[in-house]
Amino acid sequence: MVQDTLKKFHEAATSPRKQMEKYLAEGKKVVLTAPVYTPEELIHSMGFVPMGAWGADMELNRSKEYFPAFLCSIVQSILEMGIKGGYKGASAIVIPSLCDTLKTLGENWKYAVEDIKFIPMTYPQNRKPDYGIAFTKAGYERVMRDLEELGGKYDPAALSESIKIYNKHNEVMRKADEMLAAHPEITAAERSDIFKSAFFMTKEEHTALVEEFLAELDKQAAGAEKIGIVVSGILTDAPQLNEIFDEFGMHIVADDVAAQSRQYRTDAPEMDDPLQALAVKFANMDNCSVLYNVKKPRVQWIVDTAKARGAKGVVVVMTKFCDPEEFDYVMIKKACEKADLPLALVEVDRQMVHFEQVRTNLETFRDMLTF
Amino acid sequence: MAEEVKKPEEVKKPRKPLDPNSAKYKLGKIASDAFATAIEAKKQGKPVAWVSSNFPVEIPETLGLATAYPENQAAGIAARGAGERMCEVAEADGYSNDICAYARISLAYAKLKECPEQDVAMPDVLLCCNNICNCMIKWYENLSQELGIPMIMLDIPFNPDYEVSDAQVAYVTGQFWDAVHQLEDLFGLKWDDDKFQQVTGFSCRTSRAWLEATAQAKYIPSPFNGFDLLNHMAVMVTARGKEEAGEAMETLLKEYKQNHEKGESTFRAEEKHRVMFEGIACWPYLRATSRGLKDRGINMVTTIYADAFGFDYNSFDEMIRAYCSVPNAINLEKSRDKRIKLCKDNHVEGLLVHTNRSCKLWSGFMAEMSRQIGKECNIPVTSFDGDQADPRNFSEAQYDTRVQGLFEIMESNKESKEA
Ligand code: SF4
Ligand code: SF4
Repeated sequence: MVQDTLKKFHEAATSPRKQMEKYLAEGKKVVLTAPVYTPEELIHSMGFVPMGAWGADMELNRSKEYFPAFLCSIVQSILEMGIKGGYKGASAIVIPSLCDTLKTLGENWKYAVEDIKFIPMTYPQNRKPDYGIAFTKAGYERVMRDLEELGGKYDPAALSESIKIYNKHNEVMRKADEMLAAHPEITAAERSDIFKSAFFMTKEEHTALVEEFLAELDKQAAGAEKIGIVVSGILTDAPQLNEIFDEFGMHIVADDVAAQSRQYRTDAPEMDDPLQALAVKFANMDNCSVLYNVKKPRVQWIVDTAKARGAKGVVVVMTKFCDPEEFDYVMIKKACEKADLPLALVEVDRQMVHFEQVRTNLETFRDMLTF
Repeated sequence: MAEEVKKPEEVKKPRKPLDPNSAKYKLGKIASDAFATAIEAKKQGKPVAWVSSNFPVEIPETLGLATAYPENQAAGIAARGAGERMCEVAEADGYSNDICAYARISLAYAKLKECPEQDVAMPDVLLCCNNICNCMIKWYENLSQELGIPMIMLDIPFNPDYEVSDAQVAYVTGQFWDAVHQLEDLFGLKWDDDKFQQVTGFSCRTSRAWLEATAQAKYIPSPFNGFDLLNHMAVMVTARGKEEAGEAMETLLKEYKQNHEKGESTFRAEEKHRVMFEGIACWPYLRATSRGLKDRGINMVTTIYADAFGFDYNSFDEMIRAYCSVPNAINLEKSRDKRIKLCKDNHVEGLLVHTNRSCKLWSGFMAEMSRQIGKECNIPVTSFDGDQADPRNFSEAQYDTRVQGLFEIMESNKESKEA
């Protein structure tokens, strides 16, 4: 039953702590992975369970001792969780320096959360030339050394195996995104659970569950058509936000969300040296606000995807104070105007309790799309 | 905000013309020539580059490429009171007011192509280096798209470790030569090793003089007002690879030394207390921020800028390492230790921190770092909210209260010391 698997996704998505306790009880070591990208395959291959740490919807108190108010709430709440023991039991956190705010998270982490080791991952922005690939590899080696200190062991054969597991997971997630576009009856909230649960389950388990879900979904007749939209942003898991999408009959036919499909677009190629393959994967990644590309192909990607999937409009979900996305937004707006594609902007953050503004914006947008 | 922006000492008093042999005259001329030269080059059909402040100047300087520095331009625009107007132009296009105000001003200029408060030559290429922030990447990407011109990206990632790794040196070196070759191809320019040697010589000479001049604050009283540094820094940003910059900085050093010998200072009040100022200046409120200190006899004797432009190196590798070690590219421990050294060398009694709304990176671990500095140096730390260029994010009343608080602690520390 589709509903049974959806329930499992929901459970995992809403109880990361329980998931972590489960892995710890099994004697496994957990390594947290901060936004936006980390070498999860490597962490996995060295015997750890990587778990996504994208913060939580919560009030901020202790993080204010470290961060000024004008830093994004994702990073603020990751630190808050860390200080308050929400990640207790994890062996380490891998934080990449892909945006300025993330750079400061790592620096603060060292002093704010001393019992969970900070492991920096430094990615290059000129990631495609040979020297960029070499630097990515050096960054992985730096992570590797730290993981070895925690009892991990690097073995190229194990990494090749992990890469296969991750590539398979990527494939099923892409497939899920595609199939969900044809099933308006799956709500935005349910879609969010499918993606979010991936951060809190081993990829092996998640792949199996997604496959099970897709097999059942395939047998199910598509529900009545709704208003197709493409959602873009960093994080769109707020229950109130998804409730509003559902209430207004909006169907997410594709996403350009960092915590969702952006994670799964690119596979590591098959190569003799798996570490090189992982670096090449990063070189091949694109269409993201924290990955430099002067041509900003992401902007056109959104327009093209919206057209290809028959979306009526684009909703940019802006995480407040996220400057990489704020810069891209202007370009996305222009491109949508040029393509005659309606666009709405809603601002969210992890402390938000009142979604009236979001509701009003999306209601107006719905009216515009259905007029 | 229509504040007239002049250096605090200059306000409203008719002044006798500056001595052309003075450092102030020479540095002022270099700073204003920097804009004029690029405008002139543009008129003659020569290519102009817009350059990030910590991009290796050795590249455009050696290739003979005319340059303009958007951050420097934005600071000038903000100091002359047009920050808000320009920010609003960018905001009307959809740029959030959370974005760094320098970027907003620059993107507004790219659209308007004029701003009487500080015009620059329009660029043919963008030279971006993110060793001070990743915001720079996004800003320049958008400039490149809006203006339809190429961008050269020199990526110097934030270094989470204390030392610069060989892997990072190799990565940056690869990009350095790639940038050179791209510029050669774009504009038919030719790299010349002899010229490069000459430029590096000038750059090191300017940097050495700067480091030594700013180090004169070791004397009590300091022979200069630290607000001078905020102004002279423009030359370090835009012209450190030029011969005349080295010469002007040496003049500055000489003057500071003479001031010390004669018991004089450009700080025109009795120096009762000495603080370190942390962060970029609040350009729209330069006068208010300076006066708040001066009226209480507080001299801002040092800032991280004293160390920031120390591009003094002996080899190509050392040059690359220097660019990998600029203030915003280094980890908390290294940032902290540099500041502790400045505080100790310059007998600092208090730390005044500008929590700069524009700069997420600079402000993001400042709280923890300044706690550690305060503890190590046994000095009080106070912060105030502001912005380097958007006047809407500063409150004079809050500034005044915070500075007064700092003053009182320093007073009582002094009293107990004397007792
Ligand atoms: S939400 Fe934006 S600012 Fe925050 S960590 Fe992610 S990319 Fe950086
Ligand atoms: S103020 Fe900060 S964010 Fe703005 S350009 Fe400078 S370093 Fe970058």
